Amino acid sequence: MQNEQKDFSLSLVRIFDNVLLTEEEALSKGYFSDLSIAELHTLDAIGPYEARTMTETANDLGITTGTLTVAIDRLLKKGYVTRDRDTVDRRIVRISLTKNGKLACRIHQKFHSVLAQRILDPYTPEERAMLIKMTNEIDEFVKSQLLRYSDKKQIRKTAHEVANDNRRRIE
Amino acid sequence: MEDTGDPRERNESKIDMTSEEVLDSKDRILDDLVKMLTGILDISPTDVRADMAIEADLALDSLQLYELVLDLEEAYDIRIPDTMLETVKTVGDVVDMVYLISISND
Repeated sequence: MQNEQKDFSLSLVRIFDNVLLTEEEALSKGYFSDLSIAELHTLDAIGPYEARTMTETANDLGITTGTLTVAIDRLLKKGYVTRDRDTVDRRIVRISLTKNGKLACRIHQKFHSVLAQRILDPYTPEERAMLIKMTNEIDEFVKSQLLRYSDKKQIRKTAHEVANDNRRRIE
Repeated sequence: MEDTGDPRERNESKIDMTSEEVLDSKDRILDDLVKMLTGILDISPTDVRADMAIEADLALDSLQLYELVLDLEEAYDIRIPDTMLETVKTVGDVVDMVYLISISND
């Protein structure tokens, strides 16, 4: 049981690291080597179709609009996005992808779908259905763990605080 | 039907088309597609035939394929999902796919 847990835990962490690493390698050697992974994910959040507001996009990425503004400024300079103010409500800023931005976004989506396809290919349809079901369950579980932490600012004291408390108690 | 030159205007009404009109629509898509391909690849319009394989004969790489997809999406105001793109092998298949997506949009 202990070995099982260790193997599984190592695999999970390795999958996460290696998907990201493969993405980075593929990006640096591909057509869009001037983009970072974070920038590519920003393009992905905007999406290749309708223009989106800064607020919506920042929410999807889990970042503040201030952070997104900095990222969008860079992507504007590189020619991957356009930024326009709403003609009626000037406070609303809409961002959309240029043709190059759309190309990068579509090719990045393709990278993920090819990866998924190659992982699923060796299995029978029943095994694939089972694998997808179990992966979704893992995804849901990890998401629920994340929620536990995002509700509270700090659920445990830091080691430093515990040490200080102990010292005070001894004194 | 008069050709306005803009595929979006042409596609406004496709209900109850006869088989001749369907062929006519597909011919126009093929014409547009050939124009787009000559813009992306260094080839002449006469070099492109409907039975040509996109990868093997035209040697479109993934970037060029997506350039074509974006041009088609813009011209016909459609969305081409990757799942449909995977079923496409020849120039004629692309025409059929664009035709099917654009009539289902109406």
